[in-house]
Amino acid sequence: MRRPLGCMTFSALVTTILVVIAIAAAAATTGNGIFSPGSLSGVARGGPIEGVRSHAELASRCDVCHATAFSGDRMADRCLACHTQVQQEISSGGGLHGRFAAADDCRGCHTDHRGVTASLTLANPSAFPHDRVGYALRAHPLRAEGGSFGCLDCHPGSPTSFAPPVCLPCHEARDHPYMAQHVETLGSACLNCHDGIDSYGASFDHATYPLTGGHEEPLCGACHQGATTLLALRATETECVACHTPDDVHDGRLGNACGECHTPATWANASIDHDRTRFPLVGRHVGALCESCHVDRHWTGIGLTCRGCHAADDPHAGQFAGDCARCHAAAGWGDVTFDHAQTGFALRGGHASPACAACHPNGRYVGTPTSCIGCHAGDDSHRGAFGRNCAACHKVTRWEDWTFDHARSSFPLTGAHRGVSCQRCHGGGTYQGTPSTCSACHARPASHGTVLSGGCGSCHSTKAWTPASFDGPHPFPMTHGGAGGSCAKCHPSSLTSYSCTRCHSRADMTEHHKEVSGFSMTTCVKCHPKPKQED
Amino acid sequence: MARYSELALALVAVIGITLLYGGHVRAVAVPAAGGLLGHSLGILGFTMMLMTETLYSLRKRAMRRPRGTMRSWLRFHIFTGIVGPYLVVLHSAWSFNGLAGALTAMTVVVVASGFVGRYIYTAVPRTADGVVIEAQDLQLLLDAARQEVAQPSPAVGTSPGPGRSREQARRRLRELERQMAALRWARRMLATWHTIHIPLGMALFVMAVAHIGAAMYYATLLR
Repeated sequence: MRRPLGCMTFSALVTTILVVIAIAAAAATTGNGIFSPGSLSGVARGGPIEGVRSHAELASRCDVCHATAFSGDRMADRCLACHTQVQQEISSGGGLHGRFAAADDCRGCHTDHRGVTASLTLANPSAFPHDRVGYALRAHPLRAEGGSFGCLDCHPGSPTSFAPPVCLPCHEARDHPYMAQHVETLGSACLNCHDGIDSYGASFDHATYPLTGGHEEPLCGACHQGATTLLALRATETECVACHTPDDVHDGRLGNACGECHTPATWANASIDHDRTRFPLVGRHVGALCESCHVDRHWTGIGLTCRGCHAADDPHAGQFAGDCARCHAAAGWGDVTFDHAQTGFALRGGHASPACAACHPNGRYVGTPTSCIGCHAGDDSHRGAFGRNCAACHKVTRWEDWTFDHARSSFPLTGAHRGVSCQRCHGGGTYQGTPSTCSACHARPASHGTVLSGGCGSCHSTKAWTPASFDGPHPFPMTHGGAGGSCAKCHPSSLTSYSCTRCHSRADMTEHHKEVSGFSMTTCVKCHPKPKQED
Repeated sequence: MARYSELALALVAVIGITLLYGGHVRAVAVPAAGGLLGHSLGILGFTMMLMTETLYSLRKRAMRRPRGTMRSWLRFHIFTGIVGPYLVVLHSAWSFNGLAGALTAMTVVVVASGFVGRYIYTAVPRTADGVVIEAQDLQLLLDAARQEVAQPSPAVGTSPGPGRSREQARRRLRELERQMAALRWARRMLATWHTIHIPLGMALFVMAVAHIGAAMYYATLLR
């Protein structure tokens, strides 16, 4: 037989019944108050709700907060039934409760039965998701004087309300000069800019517009003028001219891109990349002072021509209308790269090496004669005898290279004249005025006597003296004896004498003329002016 | 020390729990009875109290298939009987209102009663395995001892010695007579203690059930 449990004694059963009755009686008399884990809070906030100022006044009316079983209500429904303002906040999404949007979890933050003086709010500042109300406590880990923050430090009136000036006492105590300036510049509506997450104070990371150089010192308000909200601060123009227009020593002539030359470090020591302009600096221009071209700090409108700056430096006294760069390189005035061919007088031959001044004395370039004689009059070994057109004979290489075309003269050289040296005809270097008659050069041979009184050309050509061609008049038939124009047949030794003996032998003629007194074989024509058969 | 090992273990557990609890109080706050930690303390403590109240009692009645010695179960009973109520007290969050407050107080009373009962209980003679020596058994042992004392000395060489054997028998007799007297006292005290302790325990559990029911009703069902 199994023994009953030790607790199943008579006294135990009686006690159990008595305790059950006692509990039921106590519950009935206290309105279930015996199940209350503690006194209701007597802390009153705000005005009374339906005549009740605090939960403590509800006393044993448990059903006000605790819905009866099977009613379908939850405790949160009971809370919001009275706290209609909270209900409105949740419905509208505004206020403290609206941001939490946990309408079914009042007990997450609020509870009761913790004593008459206990707060209904259990919010743990260290765990309260403060950022959900729009302000994180990340930057407020500890009070300046030590210790953790309490709700009332920032919410002296109520944890559900916040008056921005409450920030100032603490922050002014930490850095009064800065805060005084900060408030004066940006106002005291702290939450307009600060959300507790980002610090916009001294440690603010101004990364969107790095504050370097000269931007480190100015106060916020210097750039963020009149900005008292975060949106306004963020809307601050980042263009240099937004703040520095009054500082623009260029009076706007250089546009708005200050950063192309200046750095935030300082306005001075601007470093313009002249290559980005239409006038890259090369040669001597690299080392030139800015002001030497940009006189009176005029940075625009300088012009791109050399004359814009170098008009006064022109050693040519304005002779050349064109740009200097046609001849001069930027490396220096002495670096001339002039193509003389542009002038129509290309420097060739002997003209290539002489210094410019040889032809352009005294820096005179314009008007320099292009004729040879313009420069070489002093060099004319012909002393002007051949006129002024040297090039008619001489090449540009050197004087010695000449090629005279005698045909262009009044005495074209033909025949044997071609092979004769100039001096044979132009003795003494005299060329002009040289007579063109044969006798000027060729002495009349004695053999011609006086018989041939005509010009040489009557019988001779320039090809050679002989054979000559004589066509009369001849006192004696030139065809006599079959001479056929051969003078030597009758004039074997001289044209001024004749000899008949080549055909008429002296012995025969002597025999034949033995009867003629004074016969002589040298005076045949005296008796025979014409041949016999022609007599 | 082995005799009180369960007390030492309970003391160590209580100290450990106290340190953890104190650390939580220092770091956060007193764990609210309705919070996760507070509820855990209460549930674990009450479970241990239930084990205290039932397991040892069931073992005492488990004659057919007993598991473990009575002494081991008693030590476990004592351990849970100390640590469980301590957890329940911590669960109260030091607030003693209404039924919950009365329940806490009743817990303390029942534990105190249990301590008293434990020492009354140990006064009851028992065999080596902890089984209570029934008065009838003790009487038989006593009669045998008296008979042994009254018998003449056995032959030399068959016993340790006539003088020594008789003296041992006398000491055994005195011990048994003392145990018999103690048993009578202990039984009276134990009966009296049972009369008080068991109703207190029942009251405690009835109140605990009411408290748990109310808590579930108000704090869980009607959240």
